[in-house]
Amino acid sequence: MSDDAPEVPPPTAPTSPLEPWPDTVRWQSISTDLIWVELLRLAAGVAFVSAVLGVGWALTGSWPFGVALGAAGVFALWRAVTIVRAVRAWGYAEREDDLLVRHGLLVRRLSIVPYSRMQFVDVSAGPLERAFDLATVQLHTAAAASDARVPGLRPAEASRLRDRLTALGEDRAEGL
Amino acid sequence: MSGSAGPGPDRNPSTAHEQDQVEGGLGVRGPGQPPEHAGPAVPAAAPPPGEGPPHGPYREAGPSSSSGPGPQPPAGWIGPAGWTGPQPPAGWSGAPEPQPPAGWTGPPPQGPPARQRLHPLSPALHGAKSLVVVIAGLSWSTLSRVGFGWFVAMVVVLALGASVIAVISWYNTGYQVVGRELRIHEGLLWRRTRAIPLERLQAVEVVRPLLAQLTGLAELRLEVVGGGKTEAPLAYLSVGEAGALRQRLLALAGHPSGATPAAPSPAVPDGAEPPPTPGRPLHAVSNRDLLISQLLTPQAFLLPFGVAFVAVQFLSEDSWSFIAVASTLTAMAGVLLQPVRRVLDDWRFQLARDDDRLRIRNGLLETRSQTVPLHRVQTVRVTWPLLWRVKGWLRLRLEVAGYAAGEADERNRPDRLLPVGDQPTGEMIVAEVLPGVALSSLPLRPPPARARWVNPLSRQILGAGLAEQVFAVRSGLLTRQLTIVPYARLQSVRVVQGPVQRLLGLATVHADTAGGAGAAAVDRDLADAWALAAELTARGQAARNPTP
Repeated sequence: MSDDAPEVPPPTAPTSPLEPWPDTVRWQSISTDLIWVELLRLAAGVAFVSAVLGVGWALTGSWPFGVALGAAGVFALWRAVTIVRAVRAWGYAEREDDLLVRHGLLVRRLSIVPYSRMQFVDVSAGPLERAFDLATVQLHTAAAASDARVPGLRPAEASRLRDRLTALGEDRAEGL
Repeated sequence: MSGSAGPGPDRNPSTAHEQDQVEGGLGVRGPGQPPEHAGPAVPAAAPPPGEGPPHGPYREAGPSSSSGPGPQPPAGWIGPAGWTGPQPPAGWSGAPEPQPPAGWTGPPPQGPPARQRLHPLSPALHGAKSLVVVIAGLSWSTLSRVGFGWFVAMVVVLALGASVIAVISWYNTGYQVVGRELRIHEGLLWRRTRAIPLERLQAVEVVRPLLAQLTGLAELRLEVVGGGKTEAPLAYLSVGEAGALRQRLLALAGHPSGATPAAPSPAVPDGAEPPPTPGRPLHAVSNRDLLISQLLTPQAFLLPFGVAFVAVQFLSEDSWSFIAVASTLTAMAGVLLQPVRRVLDDWRFQLARDDDRLRIRNGLLETRSQTVPLHRVQTVRVTWPLLWRVKGWLRLRLEVAGYAAGEADERNRPDRLLPVGDQPTGEMIVAEVLPGVALSSLPLRPPPARARWVNPLSRQILGAGLAEQVFAVRSGLLTRQLTIVPYARLQSVRVVQGPVQRLLGLATVHADTAGGAGAAAVDRDLADAWALAAELTARGQAARNPTP
């Protein structure tokens, strides 16, 4: 893979960028209903932009509006494909001492957040998410950069995760 | 934790020695007075008995304190008078005089703790401060438009308004220490009481702006996590009171698991000369080095070109109006402000260690003396600016949770550990702050050779390594930076891989801390990045629970 290999061998050879430790970590995926939530959000945004562009085109008749409308359509299609893949790529894993969250396709991210560093847990559900019976759990630490957000959980799973996180956080609490 | 292992056995004798010195220096005091009570012993400050004890639960300062420095002895006239009246009311818990010195920090206050007011001169100082703001806000163009007389009138009206508000807010502001909590009451219409649990205290700072220095006052600032900016600035207290309160708060905030805090070092005595920093002195930056170091900044370096440019413009266009000149000068001052501010801020920079705390004292016009418990240090950042490399100089900064990104003004983030110093000094201070860390022998490894596609020039400089107790990351081609994060302070670990990095099989590992940006090891080999993340997580876990 490279000419100067690392001195420290990795615990296990990573099979893919998103699965660092396949045999020690059991990844859980999130509900695929989140795809519909995200698609509806995208559709609303695209519909608004298209309406503005369409009205502009109809009133002025200048061709740049048409080009922009076409571009918006292409963008919507591309986003729709990536949304499906991105939601499938989103995963989390509860290890003994920390929570792993991975997400992202273009820019892939993996967050490792120890339970003991937890400051508070957010559970939120917007109207669209509620319509599909979903909720989002977010774990906050004292570091602003920490990024442990798990969307698209069933409410039961969300409250289970929340309770587990808070219980583990209390056990091992050391905030700073 | 990690901070408690460092100092040798010479610490306690040195502290005791300092105490002796200070006690000897303030010989005016009665023999029975504890050294902390810098105030009440100076007899000249006592109001005549007819004034009576302070009324109500508040501690009112003696009337002599607000009447100006005339008749009082110059040495610390405000401090003693502002400290307390001659007979503290029975309910006043701050410093029961007959108690032995150890009683200052140790036993809980007797009776209900009373609310204490800030120093009565503080509204005047706030008013003076707002005067400057008002003048700056009205700016030169207003002056030219309305004429001098109106300008003065506007300034006076606005400043008067600000002063009235300052007086009202002073009257309604009070603080008290209840148990392990500091409570601050403020507000007239919207009352607010803020309780600050002292276990959460990250750092304490005593700041003395120029005006406060002239009047013998000081501002006490507490840093707690979660506040967007400095919480609870107590502006202003008398110097003795601020020092004593700082001691008391730090003693209360002490290490929850650690041993009892060592004997409190003597409070800052009042006087014209700033006293030596208590504790074991580590380093003092020479002012000459500081000046040279700021002359070696881009701003100072490029100033002659700026002046020449402006001069040529003026000479060619022949427009010497007052406004143009004044505005240009103001703009020029703005550019120069940063180096000049740094020189003023870091003047007479002294670093000392007092038990498991760092004490930093600096400033010319505005002196700051900052106290940071060592176990609150989240990150140490070493910087080698380009122009300093000819001298082999470096700069050290420390991050404490609470000075997070919320503070827009960099000046209010007192994160300096060493404004300028050579390599051995830097190594000594780093070893002191993070025991067992040798700056020059950190095991840094560069990223793989293919990382040169993303970092064509700086690949050799980039480096990351796991030392015994810290994670170290080096970056920056021109301004070289080394970030050191103790494992015990890690908050979370992230691995991020962008599209280009994916093509090259690289990834960036972020180690997040509670204060500042944390450390990012950029463009590591993917397998190396996973190993690094796993190792960081494991070592962070081990550092948090030393004996599982």
